[in-house]
Order: sequence, then C-alpha cells, then structure tokens
Amino acid sequence: MLNVVRNTFRHLFLGAARNWLRNLGATAPALGSMTLLLLLSGLVGLTAFAVQNLAAAQAGQAAVLHVYLRDDAKPDDVTALRTKLSDDSRVAAVSLTSKADALKRAQHRPGMADLAGAVDDNPFPASLDVRVRSVTDVGALADEVDSSPPVDPILPTSYNPGANDRIQKALLIAGITGGAFLLLLGFVAVTVTANSIRAAILTRQNEVAIMQLVGAPRWMVRGPFLVEGAMTGGIAGLAAGLVTLLAGVAVVAAGRSTFAQIAPGVGFGVCLLAAAMVVLAGLVLGSVASLLSVHRQLET
Amino acid sequence: MPALVELVGATRQYGERIAIDDVHLALRPGELAFLVGPSGAGKTTLLKLINREIRPTSGEVWIDGLPAHALRASRIAELRRRVGVVYQDYKLLPRLTALENVAFGLQVSDLGVADAEAHDRALDALEAVGLGDRAGAFPTELSGGQQQRVAIARAVVSQPPVVVADEPTGNLDLETAWQVMKLLEQISRFGTTVLIATHNLDIVRRMQRRVLTLVDGRLVRDQPAGRVGRLAWASS
Repeated sequence: MLNVVRNTFRHLFLGAARNWLRNLGATAPALGSMTLLLLLSGLVGLTAFAVQNLAAAQAGQAAVLHVYLRDDAKPDDVTALRTKLSDDSRVAAVSLTSKADALKRAQHRPGMADLAGAVDDNPFPASLDVRVRSVTDVGALADEVDSSPPVDPILPTSYNPGANDRIQKALLIAGITGGAFLLLLGFVAVTVTANSIRAAILTRQNEVAIMQLVGAPRWMVRGPFLVEGAMTGGIAGLAAGLVTLLAGVAVVAAGRSTFAQIAPGVGFGVCLLAAAMVVLAGLVLGSVASLLSVHRQLET
Repeated sequence: MPALVELVGATRQYGERIAIDDVHLALRPGELAFLVGPSGAGKTTLLKLINREIRPTSGEVWIDGLPAHALRASRIAELRRRVGVVYQDYKLLPRLTALENVAFGLQVSDLGVADAEAHDRALDALEAVGLGDRAGAFPTELSGGQQQRVAIARAVVSQPPVVVADEPTGNLDLETAWQVMKLLEQISRFGTTVLIATHNLDIVRRMQRRVLTLVDGRLVRDQPAGRVGRLAWASS
C-alpha cells in the first residue's frame, strides 16, 4: 500500500512538477494571463463587496429621514413634532439624537474623529431620526416637516431626491460591465492555459503513447497533465492572491487615515478571504482548462 | 489447455478497405508463432487488435479471457498489462536509461512494485537479454540490436502471458536478428505466448515454428510447428 502511495505521488506530483519546470517557457503566457485575470477578479471582488455594503447602507439610509433641529429649538416644540410624526401612519419609528449623541456617532466614522476634534464647538445638530415604512413616502414627509418651528431652516432634513435611484443605476451598470470584463478575461485565460497544456501533451506524445501501450491506466496518463494545469492555476492564484491581499490591506490602511471610508466593510479578514478565494479560483481554473485539453487530446 | 489469444471471425475495416477479413485464430500458452505475409497484408492490424489499439469492426478478440472487442476504454489498460509489445522502432524513452525504461514499464503497469524490487527485476530482465552491463546507458548510447533487447526486456519484465512483436528484427543485421529471435523463443519456453510479425523468411524457416500467413487480410495458411511450408506468397 505504501508503495502504491509513494509511486502514485512520485508519478503524479513529482513528475508533473518536473515537466512543469521543463515546459516553463510554453507555460509562461498561460501563467501570466491567468495571474492577471485572478488579480483583477480579486480586486473587482473586493470592490464589489465594498460597493454592495455601500448600496445596502444607502438602501437602509434611504428609508430613514433625519430631521435636523435648530440649536435653539424649544423642547416643547421638539416633543410636539416628535408626537406628530409618531402618530403618522407612514412612520414606523421616531428617535431623538441629541447633539452629544451626534458628536459621538461622528467620532466613530472613519476620518470624522479628527474633524470632530478639530473644533472647540460641537458642529453636529440634534435630530429626529424618522424610520419611514416606505421609501416613496420620505419626500412627502420631508416637505411636511420642512417649515416646523424646531427644524433647522438651512438644512432641514437629510432628504436628497433621486440620489438612491442614481446610485442603484450606477451600481447595476458597474456590475454588468465588471462581470462581462471578467468573463472575457476568464475565457482568454482558460483558452491560453488549455493550449499550453495541449502543447505539453503534443511535445510528450511519444511518452504518452508508450505509457498507454505498456498498460498505464488512464488516470496515470492524464493525471500529471491535470496536476500541471492545477499547478499553473495555483501558482497564478498564489501570486494574484498575495497582491490582492496587499492591495486590500493598503486600501483599508489608507481609509483609516482619510476623511472618507474608501471600502466600507472591507477589513483584514475580508482581504484574507478574498485572497484565499483567488487561490482556489486559480486551482479550479487551471484544473478545468487542463481537463478540457486532456479530454480532447487523449481520448482513445 | 484454453487459448490465451483467440480471434473468432475478426474483421477490421478502414472505410471501404478490409484490413483483416474474418480471421479465426487460437494461440495456446507457451506457443511461439510467426505471422507472415506481404506488406499491407494486415499483420500490424492483427497485432493492434490483440493489444486493443484498435477494435474489430465485427467478430471477437479474446486475450487471456478478456473480450478485447467489447472492452470499455477504462479497462484497456488492464488488457495491455497482459500483453507485452515489442516494436520495430523500439519505442524507448530517450531521457531514461535502459534500466529506467524497463523499470518504468514495470511500475507503470503495477504501482505496488517498490523501487528496490523494480530495480532488481529490471536488472534481471536486462541480464536475461544480455545487457546487464549496459543498464546505465541511454538509448542513444546503444546499438539498434541492444535497443531492441531493452524493448524486449521491458515487454517481458512484468511477465505478461502474451508477447507480440511487430517486425522486431526489421532494423537489425542477420546475426543480431537471430539473437533476438532466440531470446523470444526462450521467453515462450517459460509459458508465454509469443506472436511475431516478420518479413524475415530465413529466420521463419530455420526456427520451424507455427507460421500464420496473411494475404489481403485473410488467414490463408496456418502451418503447424515442425514443418517447412512453401510460403507461397513470398514467390509472388
């Protein structure tokens, strides 16, 4: 049994590694195109994750109307407005955010901590945070509270007509374009890899024929080529995964030091997961490409 | 004793051309037979049917109890491990030594063979063909006769019940050809069925073994061992 394992390992993996190194010149284009594809996939994947978080936050925010209060608003007026809104059938809930709470919330936002600490005064207004049952009612409610006495006349509410629609439309277009681009790159990478494996099979046609004639089972003839394809994909995946991880970590670090959240929801864990998925995708792509090639070339 | 190689009405067509036509043939264990006939008679096609490199268009081909005519692709290797093949062009791997070529044939057909055992058995096979002292040589460092003997060692090292040889002496001088034939005869004495396709009629006459004559794909004569036939096709 040990001999079978040892011989299988030597034949499949050591043999494949030796042949892969020997054919490195022919494999290089496949390696390069697959690395590029996987790198772009990783980066697009991370971006899509961040954009999806942003879209989810936007969708949640769209149903919340922040009614900003004047600094000198009378408590009775605020209470009256809050009661009026709570009694409205279109409203699910109303909560009050004081100026102090607004400051605390701002301090937890990336980059805002520095801004909040940069002025002596608290620049953030108190607000009534109104959760509206349907996004379509937000505009009408905003119009109704616009001229209420405790409401800030300069910036009465957070309502921005059409903003959410524009964001959703932009996300859809970006998603379709990115997906099509990745599909095209995937096709190119699989084709180039399949061709490099086909070239490897052709250069070793004599060896393959002899193996078949002396009774080597099919898996033993095909296996090394599949391992070679997986190696090409795996090495491309490792390189692309490493660059994806470094790029992701760099973006996260850059976001911490600026006033804007560059990639919402993207942390070290997400970057690590994206890198692992890129490596896995490389292995799968390489194996599938060589499987296609081996299937076409070695059918007897 | 049951036949190790049996063809029952085997026919092989390539398009309209019939390469093997309704051949009935049985070879028993330890039997050595020659397959003769003019070029294009179907000798190589018949050997390919035995090694299941091709499938008969109709009829049956049985090898050591396995139905080569109905075998699925996944079981071809199982059949080929029962048939050692010697080719005119040797088919040795140029980047392996003689010993490695023989051991390769052994370990490819049986993964359970340990390195040390493969080494010893390959060396034994090379010594049996008189090449024990050339085990470390690469094919390019060996003469044609020596390469053919390495190919024979590879074909028999896993002790298959059947050995087929396609023009094994085609590239050799008469003396070396004779040595190779004596070697194949020795192998048959150990119970292996040996079928040799050849054009070398001198050797066929001298060895006086069973001679199967193919002409235009048909088995026109089956001459038992010990008799010297006319080999009529040769004079035509």
